[in-house]
Amino acid sequence: MKRIFALLLTLAMMLSLAGTAFAEPITDFVTYQTTANEMETFNILYSQYAKELDVLTNCIDGLLSNDNYGNLVPGLAETWETLDGGLTWTFNLRKGVKWVDYQANEKAEVVAEDFLWGLEWVLNEKKNLAANMSMPSEMLVGAQEYFDYTKELPEADALALGLEKFQEMVGIKAVDDYTLVFTCKAPMPYFATLGSYNCLYPVSGKLLAELGAEGMKAVSYDTLWYNGPYTMTTYVQNNEKVLTKNPTYWNKDIQTFNTVTVKMVDSVDIAFQMYQTGELDNVTLNEANLQTIYRSPSHEFHNHLNEARPTKYSYQIHLVYDKKLEDGSPDVAWNTAIANEAFRLSWYYGMDFTNYLGRINAINPLNCTNYCYTAANLVATSDGKDYVQHVMDLIGLQPSSETYTRFDAEKGAAYKQQAMEELSAKGVTFPIQMDYYVQGSNQSALDTAQVLKQTFIDCLGEDYVVMNIKTFVNSLIKEVRAPQLASFYINGWGADYGDPINYLGQETYGKDNAFYSSAYSKIDLATDEDLIAQYKEFTALVDAAAAINDDLDARYKAFAVAEAYMIEHALVIPLYVNISWQLTGVNDYSKIFAAYGIQNNRYINWETNKQGYTTEDYVNFAKVYEENRK
Amino acid sequence: MLLYTMKRLLQSIVTVLLVVTIVFLLLRLLPTDYYFTEEQLIKLTDQQRHDQLAAAGLLDSPFVQLFRFYEDLANLDLGTSRRIQHGVPVTQVIGGKFLVSMRLGLISLAISLFLGVVMGVLQARYKDKFGDHVGTAYTVFVNAVPTLITYSLVLVIGARLFKLPSMYSVRNVARSSILPVVCLSLTSTAGYMLWTRRYMVDELNKDYIKLARLKGLSSRKVMYRHVLRNAFVPLAQYLPYSMLLTIGGSLLVERFFSVPGMGTLLTDAISRYDTSIVQAVVILYASLGVLGVFLGDVLMTLIDPRIRLTSKGNTR
Repeated sequence: MKRIFALLLTLAMMLSLAGTAFAEPITDFVTYQTTANEMETFNILYSQYAKELDVLTNCIDGLLSNDNYGNLVPGLAETWETLDGGLTWTFNLRKGVKWVDYQANEKAEVVAEDFLWGLEWVLNEKKNLAANMSMPSEMLVGAQEYFDYTKELPEADALALGLEKFQEMVGIKAVDDYTLVFTCKAPMPYFATLGSYNCLYPVSGKLLAELGAEGMKAVSYDTLWYNGPYTMTTYVQNNEKVLTKNPTYWNKDIQTFNTVTVKMVDSVDIAFQMYQTGELDNVTLNEANLQTIYRSPSHEFHNHLNEARPTKYSYQIHLVYDKKLEDGSPDVAWNTAIANEAFRLSWYYGMDFTNYLGRINAINPLNCTNYCYTAANLVATSDGKDYVQHVMDLIGLQPSSETYTRFDAEKGAAYKQQAMEELSAKGVTFPIQMDYYVQGSNQSALDTAQVLKQTFIDCLGEDYVVMNIKTFVNSLIKEVRAPQLASFYINGWGADYGDPINYLGQETYGKDNAFYSSAYSKIDLATDEDLIAQYKEFTALVDAAAAINDDLDARYKAFAVAEAYMIEHALVIPLYVNISWQLTGVNDYSKIFAAYGIQNNRYINWETNKQGYTTEDYVNFAKVYEENRK
Repeated sequence: MLLYTMKRLLQSIVTVLLVVTIVFLLLRLLPTDYYFTEEQLIKLTDQQRHDQLAAAGLLDSPFVQLFRFYEDLANLDLGTSRRIQHGVPVTQVIGGKFLVSMRLGLISLAISLFLGVVMGVLQARYKDKFGDHVGTAYTVFVNAVPTLITYSLVLVIGARLFKLPSMYSVRNVARSSILPVVCLSLTSTAGYMLWTRRYMVDELNKDYIKLARLKGLSSRKVMYRHVLRNAFVPLAQYLPYSMLLTIGGSLLVERFFSVPGMGTLLTDAISRYDTSIVQAVVILYASLGVLGVFLGDVLMTLIDPRIRLTSKGNTR
C-alpha cells in the first residue's frame, strides 16, 4: 500500500511537472555576479575564494566531484579505494582526458604526474604563498616538512624546484600515468572527500614548463590549460566572462550549456532590472525587491518567487572569552559573565531569534533555523540518517516551521535568575555591556544588528544585558578581532571536506588548527577553570571520535555526542543557515549540492526553463527531490 | 614659447614626482596587515605573513623602498598587481582599460560640447524666453537630482522602452555604449550650457557689443564672431584638461554600467591595497592633470591673441 501510494504521488508530481518538462530549456545561460566579487586569479591552486572557485570549478576537473545529493562521484579518477583503513589511498585515473587551451586546442593528456605538479605548487611556499596548504599539510606524510623546506630556500631556488625533492619527501606517488597513491599521516577514512577540493587539483607539468613559475602565478584565461566541461573564451574584468562548452570534455553523458555568460553588475538592483528586461536568466532578490514582489499579488513575478536551497555555511554566535575594552584593559564584567554557564544558557534558551531570522529570510524566517554547529548533508550514517539529525536527537530539538523550538522562556528566565545571583556574588553589576561590531558602511548589517539588539531587549531585558552596536571601517580582523574588542561574532563556516572533524576541529581547546576557538573565542586566553574544563571535555570527546577510523557509523555518532556537548553547554550558539529568494529559470534541485568542496557551482546537468520557474514548480521540485532521496 | 614650454615641463615633472612620492610614503605608513586579505589573515601564521612581506621587500625602510621605486620607474617598470589581477604587470592591467574609458569619454565630450555650446548660445540669444527657461530647468534638474537617480531613469527608459542593453558589452560595443554615453553627456551638457549662457550674457552687456550693434553688424555676426569667441575663452582653458581626463573614466557611470574602464580602478586598488596599481594610476592622473592645464593655457593664447604665456610687461 505504501509503495502504491509513493508511486501515485510520484506520478502526480510528474504530471504536474509535465508543463515545465516541456518548457524550452536554456541553451546559453546568462547569469551575474557583483563587481565586488570579480576574480583576482585564474590559478585554481592559489584561489581560496568562491568568487574564483565558482568559475574555475567549471574549467578544471579534480579527482572527484559530487552529485545533486552530495554523494561523491568520479571525476578524473574513475575509481578510488583504501585497503588499509584510510592510511593509503589509490586513485585510478581515466585515460584519454585532454588538457586544452582556451580555444579548445589539445595541448596534452592528463596524467598522474599532473597531480604531483599541482600539489608541489600548493606546498611550495614561494610558489603558492601558503594558500591552500593547511589541509594537505595536516593530512599527508611529509607535506608540512616540504613546505618548511621551500620556506627556507632562496626564492629563485624554490621557484625552480621540480618533482625530485618533492617525491622524496611527500606522501604522493604516481605509480604510472593513471595511478595515483596518497599516503596519509594516520588513517583518514574521509580523505577521498578532499579529492573534490582544489588543494589536490592537477596542473599540467607541460604548462608549468611553458609558463615558468612567474608566468603561472600570473596565469590568465588565455594562457591557462583546461580539462573541465568549459573553457573561458572571453574575460573582461568587471564586465563579463564567457564560458564555452569544451568539445573535448571526457564526460559525454552530462548536459552542459553551449555558453555561460557571467555579467558583472554593480548591484543586485541592476541585476533585477536586467532580469526584468530578459538579459539575465536568474537573480537573487534583495529584501526590498523581495518585499515589493511578495506584497503585490498582481506583480508579474509574484508567482515566480522561489526559495533557494541553503548555502553550505552554518552560522554561529561565537562568544569571546577574553574581551578587551578600547583602552586595551580586560573587560572584566563581560569575561566573568560569559564564563558563567548559566549566563550562556540564558541566551541559548531565552532568545527567540525569529525576528532576526526574518532578516535572512523575510518570508519564511524559520526555514533558516540552525540548531547544530555542523551543516546538514555533510555525512550520514549507513542507515541514511543525516549526521545533524543524530545531534538533534541528542540535544532534543526538532526544527519547526511554526515556532523557534529552542526558545524556552521559562528556562531562559530561570538561567537568567541563576546567572544574576552567581555573577552578583562575584561582584558583577548589571546590566552587562556587550559590544557587537558591524561594518559602518553596510546599512543592511546595521539594520540587522538593530533587530538583534531589539531581540536581546525583548527576550532578556535591559536590566540584564545591553547590546552596543559598534562599527568598523574596513577590516573586522584588523580593527576588531586583533584588539579583541567584540563580545561576540556571528560567523559562518563551510566545510572543505566531508567529515565532522572539519567543523568540530575548529572549536577544540589548545590545538593549532582550532581556528574559531583560538582566533575568535580566544579560549586559549580564558582563565575561568570551569569553562576551560568544559572545553577540555569537549576536546576529549572530539579526539575520541576522531580516533575511530574503522567504523564510520561509530565515528559519526561519537562526533555527534561531542557536538551535542558543545551545544548544550552553549560554548558556541548555533544561529542560522542562509536561504535567499530568487527569480530563476534554473531548478536548483538539479544542481550539485554538496556540503563541502568546490563543486556546487558546476554548470552541468542543470534543468532549466527559459520562461522561469513558478513557485509551484519549485514546491514540486523539492517534493520530487526528497522522494528520490528516499 | 619654447623656453616657457621647457620650464613648464620641468615644473610638471617635479609636481608629478612630488605627488607620487607623497602617495608612496602615505601608503607605507599604513599597517602591513593591509597587504593581506581577510582570508589570508585567517589562514597565514605571523611567520608566513612576515616571510611574504620580506620577500616582497615591504619590510625595508620606506626610503629604501622609495629609492627602489624610483629606480624601477626610471626603467619604466611599474611592478605587478597583487590583488586586482594577481601577478599581472600593472601596465597590462591599465592598458586594457584606458582605451575603453577614453573612447566613451571622447564621444560624450564631443556630444556635450556641441549640444551644450549650441544650447547655451541659443539660451543667451533668447534670454528669458520660453527656450531659455526650458534650458535652465534642464540644468537645474540635472544638477539637483542625485546622479544615481538620473542614471537609473536612463537605464529603465533605455532598457525597457528602447530595448537597449543595460550594461556595456565588449561583444556589442555600439549599442551597449549608448546608455553610458547618454549618462556621461547629461551632466556635462548641462555644465557647458550653463557656462556658455552665462559668459555670453556677460559679453552681451559689454560696451563693445553695443558699439558693434550701433555700427550695424547683424545679430548673427555679433553673436558668433564676437560674443561667442570671447565667451568661449574661459571654456577653452578646460577643454584639453577635460579631453585628457576622459582617460581616467567616470567612477559612477563605469560602475553603474559595468564598463571595464579606468573609472573604478583607483578605488578598487585602494580598497584592495594594491599599491603598485595605486601608484601607477596616481602617476597617470597627475601627469594628465598637469598636461591638461598646460595645453589649456596654450589653447587660450590661440583663441585670444591678447593673452601671452611669456611675460612682456603684463599678462600671464
